[in-house]
Amino acid sequence: MILLRLNLLEARAGKRAANFKKEGNQMQNRLLLQIKNISKNFPGVKALNNVSFDAYTREVLGLVGVNGAGKSTLLNILGGIIKPDEGEVIIEGHKVEIRNPRIAKDLGIAFIQQEIQVFDDLKVFENILISDLYKWRSTKALPFLNINKLRMEAKKYLDMLGCNIDVNTRAASLSVGEKQMVQISRALSQGGNILLFDEPTSSLATKEKQSLFEIIKKLRASNLVIIYITHYLDEIFEICDKVIVLRDGQVTGKENVNDINKKNLINYMVGHDIKKMAGYKSMQTGKKILEVTNITGEKLPKDVSFSLRKGEILGVWGLMGSGRTELFRTLLGFDKMRKGQIRYRENGNLKQKKSKQFFKNTGYVTEERHFSGLFLQMPLWKNMSSVCLKKFASRYLRILRSKKEKNAAREYINKVNISAVNEDMLAYQLSGGNQQKVVLAKWFMKKPEVLFMDEPTKGVDVSAKAEIQKLIFEMAKSGISFVIVSSELEEIMYLCDRIIVLYDGKSVSEVSKEDFSKDKLMSDITGGES
Amino acid sequence: MKKTKNTLEIEDKIKSMQKMQKWQTIILPLLIVLILIILCIFVEQFATFGNIINLLVQVSPIGIMACGVTIVMITGGIDISAPAVMATAAVIGADYIARTGNLVFGSVLMLLVGALMGAINGFAVAFLKMVPLVVTLAMMTINMGIAIWWTMGESIVGLPPNFSLIFNEFTIIGMYIVVAGIFSFILRKTVFGRWLYYIGNNVNTARISGIPTAFVIFMTYIISGLCAGIVGIINTSILSSARPGMGPETQILDIVSAVVIGGVSVNGGVGTIEGAVIGSVFIIMINNIMNLIGVPDYYAGFMKGIIIILAVAIDTFKTKFIRG
Repeated sequence: MILLRLNLLEARAGKRAANFKKEGNQMQNRLLLQIKNISKNFPGVKALNNVSFDAYTREVLGLVGVNGAGKSTLLNILGGIIKPDEGEVIIEGHKVEIRNPRIAKDLGIAFIQQEIQVFDDLKVFENILISDLYKWRSTKALPFLNINKLRMEAKKYLDMLGCNIDVNTRAASLSVGEKQMVQISRALSQGGNILLFDEPTSSLATKEKQSLFEIIKKLRASNLVIIYITHYLDEIFEICDKVIVLRDGQVTGKENVNDINKKNLINYMVGHDIKKMAGYKSMQTGKKILEVTNITGEKLPKDVSFSLRKGEILGVWGLMGSGRTELFRTLLGFDKMRKGQIRYRENGNLKQKKSKQFFKNTGYVTEERHFSGLFLQMPLWKNMSSVCLKKFASRYLRILRSKKEKNAAREYINKVNISAVNEDMLAYQLSGGNQQKVVLAKWFMKKPEVLFMDEPTKGVDVSAKAEIQKLIFEMAKSGISFVIVSSELEEIMYLCDRIIVLYDGKSVSEVSKEDFSKDKLMSDITGGES
Repeated sequence: MKKTKNTLEIEDKIKSMQKMQKWQTIILPLLIVLILIILCIFVEQFATFGNIINLLVQVSPIGIMACGVTIVMITGGIDISAPAVMATAAVIGADYIARTGNLVFGSVLMLLVGALMGAINGFAVAFLKMVPLVVTLAMMTINMGIAIWWTMGESIVGLPPNFSLIFNEFTIIGMYIVVAGIFSFILRKTVFGRWLYYIGNNVNTARISGIPTAFVIFMTYIISGLCAGIVGIINTSILSSARPGMGPETQILDIVSAVVIGGVSVNGGVGTIEGAVIGSVFIIMINNIMNLIGVPDYYAGFMKGIIIILAVAIDTFKTKFIRG
């Protein structure tokens, strides 16, 4: 069935490609990269199953799929990090064997990674030409570099992108967006003609995103293959010409972007319609349980005040670097608090508390689950009980009752719907979405009064995202209050009862649900008149 | 949740992986038992009562320090100052005993000195965030210096004969068993023990989870120092004297090798006291065998080196194999 459908799709795609040519592009779309019937098995998982597609120059090919669909495996194969079990990669008509990253580079395959990879202590031109520095010796015999030549060369690539960063600045002083440009220039300087953008916008602010898109559009005009991998479906429609959808290691959709809409795309990705959840939790919120005033940290935040009611979901909205994470860390005692007061309801009265004491009643879902959310090499049950070990220990000698821990873990695995074999599974064996659910489960297990969440659905696929959002609503109904940071406007508007807007560490406005509007929220975070 | 064929397949694989992990913990003990059997058959004097007791008495000092070092290493640190701290503790305590004849307070003094040195290590690592290897290396040389300065390089003799009578072979072996037993219990069953693994696995997550990471790390070094103090008592009683050279630099190599062979990860987060005990027995056994069959010292070092590299290689290979 699937094969038949694929054939049909391919035939259609072929026709369209032909149409494209007819439409009179002066230069032809050249077939540069072909992936043919690639399969890869990992112990326990068919990561890729008979994946084939073609990539032409002068068009941006979008690659989407939920977590665990096989995107990263495909990338790793192209990058020479792992070898496919079956199938072949064909570049410009020649079959190639990408045995290691060096070969991938020589073949012109270049990655623009999600995590920005620049050397902060090196200058911009060194960063751009880092992989071939030895080519720029002033004389062949001596290990001295011809700095002027290097600068000119680096400038050339930056000019191609149309951005005017001074090549002599240290990379540390660049903004995230500029670092991204440096990364792209590096890819170009390595002679890359197959550029793979791996979720490049996940660390960018809105403005920087736009300029990145401009650059991708510019690059499209030259003779390059661009493959663009993303979680954000909107981006597909914004810059891609074609889109390929992976699900469970198989290609489930190959379409021209103009011919489909978001709903189709999600269909391909998850195999069924995800209904937009109609209702959100009832707006009833209880008494005020938390009041913070003039929270000021070492650098950020500056004088932030807000209050929180029982069962309320409060959003914190702002650009990267506006002090969102710092606000959480200061409140919970991980960063030093210069000034400010936390008053927390206890036995019916608001009492002043130190942040360390306050932390006992809260949970904190951090932004980076691998860095500070999970114990990757440990079983799920140990992960989950880590925040409330005392509940499972005897009173005096603090002896643990592991059976109780395991039972509780099992209960929460079901409750949060983690697809794990059992509670003995190690955390790294789960996919991203399920890992995030483990992080949530562990904090739910602590039964906090207030749960702070920093990007609760970052890097999580569409269906897991919907589930996590549903969980947040459920828990809020049961009386937990939430403070949530999200970079996705739609998500924060959907989840929250009230939003405070941060700009440069200060809270510039507070909007309640009735007054949510995209325009206002967008203009507030950029420091526009509020 | 609906179970498709694919997910069932995954389940099987993961379950078999879990079984395999259980097996891997038994491999080393099996190996040692196998070597023991071979030895009993081929080396004549090995299986005598005297030799076995002798072996266990030799294991105890290294083994107890290895227990302390294991606790430090599980959190991702390392303590190479243990033997030097042991020598300092022994020398100071023995000096006190030789002057006053007060056995009890002298022994307690050894423990206190050990704990104090451990506290200095721990303070530097946990609160000043200094690198464990460098801190404990410095403490190693400092303690060797203190030991020599305290005794002016000479042995402290003239301890009451009671001392060696109380701490005879059997109490020494008994002490080792008790220490190992308590530590094993702490690691397996208590909140503190679990905290060690959390910290070794991911210190950032541990901190966010509300675990007092700095305090726990501080405590591990004190425990390691305390172990060194205990060994100070044991060694002093075995020799019925104390001298600054009783904790040579080479001893730390034996300890760390024992711990690593026992499956404690150098990166932290993994390891058990049982493993460390087995590793210690193994290391001493190699020394013992080499002695019995008359192999020169330098060969013994050579063999030990190879075995350590093998152990680390197996550990690395194992994790790679599991992760696929």
